[in-house]
Amino acid sequence: MTAPATTSSMPGSPVAKAPRAVTIWRLEWLRLFRTPRWIVLFGVYLLFGLLGPVMAKYMPEILGRVQSEMTIIVPPPQPKDGMINYVNQVGQTGLIVVVAIASSALAFDARRGLSTFLRTRVGSMWVLVRPRFVVTAAAAVLAYTLGTVAAWYETTLLLGSLPIGAVLAGLLCGSLYLVFAVAVVAAAASVARSTIGTVGIALTTLILLSIIGGLGVVHDWLPSTLAGAPVAVLTGGGLQEFLPAMAAAAGLSVLLVVVAVTGLRRREV
Amino acid sequence: MASHSMGLAQVEFSFPSGPVLLAIAPLVLLYLGLVAFSLVDLIRAPSVRYLPKAVWALIIVLVGTGLGAIGYLVFGRAHGPAVGANHDRTGGQERGHGQPPDSFDSAQVGDAASSSLPTATRTFTTRTDAAAVETHGLTRDYGGGGLFDVDLSVPRGSIYGLVGPNGAGKTTMLSILAGMRRADRGVVRVALPRNAIAVCPDVPEFDGWLTAAEVVDLARGLVGAAPAENVIGDALRSAGLADVADRAVGEFSRGMTQRLGLACALVGDPQLLILDEPTSALDPAGRAEMLDLVSSMRGHRTVIFSSHILADVQRVADQVGILRQGRLLYQGPTQALIDTHLRPRWLVRIAGDTTLLRAELGTQPWVTGIVPVEPGGVRIDATSMEAGERGIPLALAACGERLISCEPVAADLESAFLALTTAR
Repeated sequence: MTAPATTSSMPGSPVAKAPRAVTIWRLEWLRLFRTPRWIVLFGVYLLFGLLGPVMAKYMPEILGRVQSEMTIIVPPPQPKDGMINYVNQVGQTGLIVVVAIASSALAFDARRGLSTFLRTRVGSMWVLVRPRFVVTAAAAVLAYTLGTVAAWYETTLLLGSLPIGAVLAGLLCGSLYLVFAVAVVAAAASVARSTIGTVGIALTTLILLSIIGGLGVVHDWLPSTLAGAPVAVLTGGGLQEFLPAMAAAAGLSVLLVVVAVTGLRRREV
Repeated sequence: MASHSMGLAQVEFSFPSGPVLLAIAPLVLLYLGLVAFSLVDLIRAPSVRYLPKAVWALIIVLVGTGLGAIGYLVFGRAHGPAVGANHDRTGGQERGHGQPPDSFDSAQVGDAASSSLPTATRTFTTRTDAAAVETHGLTRDYGGGGLFDVDLSVPRGSIYGLVGPNGAGKTTMLSILAGMRRADRGVVRVALPRNAIAVCPDVPEFDGWLTAAEVVDLARGLVGAAPAENVIGDALRSAGLADVADRAVGEFSRGMTQRLGLACALVGDPQLLILDEPTSALDPAGRAEMLDLVSSMRGHRTVIFSSHILADVQRVADQVGILRQGRLLYQGPTQALIDTHLRPRWLVRIAGDTTLLRAELGTQPWVTGIVPVEPGGVRIDATSMEAGERGIPLALAACGERLISCEPVAADLESAFLALTTAR
């Protein structure tokens, strides 16, 4: 099972630059950018960021042009409506995309051969989970930020300016919620083995948290409260209202990653 | 000014200007960029999935609001880097298919100091005893199946073949040795540091968008092996993959993937190699090459491999362990097993009639059976291998016959295996 070496170097030819080593961090970078993941992730957030304010601006006009016996009265759009449109749209579709992409990275036990390759070469599950969690969460936050900037730009042009402090506060809350969502996926990957199962458990958990938050008792302390924070801070709420939820999201994210590492370490393949 | 029919209403459309133009422009650019990116990717792609390239091109251009482009990127795009990706990474210099990367930057990743499973009964040492791997009373009960009180002993530098029927516990045994499963009780003692062990499963899997060289480099980095010059190329060459070093592994056949698994195992220069069915996906030539490669490791690397192909085990393994229903029936030198458990039987062919030879053999106390099988042939059963090996030449000489051939009948591991696994 040997082949003759064919490496040769032409005299005077430029010296080849050695390819970069494939570290476990670079692996996650390549996973994101050598597959359609980055297109889907950034595309969804950017598209909704650009479309949200446009839809807010022209929705009354569109509805008015649809002939119907029913009269629809839509109030004139406000600047905040552009950002609200964006947040509402990415709050569902964007979250599903983030969960799916995070699951495809973190559910590495879904393929036994791949799992064996990774697990028999590292001493600690933390080594495997850390780059997958960090890179995915960072990409999600970056995509959300990109979408927010796009929505901000469109809103300013079409509807009027937005308070910068409120937009940044909303961005902070929304980003923290996405980090929490990726942590939920990490923990789900230590429970379910398949990618689909991981997506299912993570989405169910996030939906349940939103429902529980609606009951009111623990609303202020639930990370899911942060999903609506970008809208709330634009409509008069202050960032301080969300400090308990932010603290809970940060704390629970750390806890969930610890749960993920522990669960994956105990799992047999 | 243009007038379009849109559903139930007549809509007057005017070309946007001012802030509206600035607002619409990014959307248009996003759409055009997506379509352009998809088309360029389609043109550069060596192959696409599900549909011909021309159909994908039509879908990208004609299916509205970018959905066609997204559909292509998600479903139509084949895994792996586009053609020429490696050329970009090598500063534009052409690199032939047979040329694996010369060297890679260093990257030591991973703490390979301990097992990934918290097995209290599992120890890794750097002792230099004769046995590289030992187990004592190793038990893993899956409710009837599994392993029971297995005392395995794998001499250092040996090639140890683990054989057994389906469900005998071979994979469980290898998984426990690899640290991927826990034992219910018993002791596993591996006289090697954790990062000196490499495991290659029967069906290796890798991220399909990495090239073969990148996969091997990742394996090297994960075990913390030094980035010595051309270490990646050497590993790929050993596995017969030097010509496809720059190809995305998503395009590999199962046999090539199995070879890649071996290259990943070899890149860390392990002292213990655990191979689960290493030849199961290889064609006859590939199988022979793999066995030669494994055989060449004798003496300087300990190899434990399981196989259903007993001829493979007999060919390369100097030690063999036979498992049945989770219990170790035999462990020891392969040849000793064959000698001990075979019925000593030979087929002797001579030039001429066998009457005299049969008469001579009939007088010998070590002969237990004489059967004429064909003109000039006789099958001889003996009391032992040694008695037959000594007695047959003497008997032939005594009656002055001209010998054509004398060969042991079914003298292989399969017979020994069947004798062992069906006798108890």
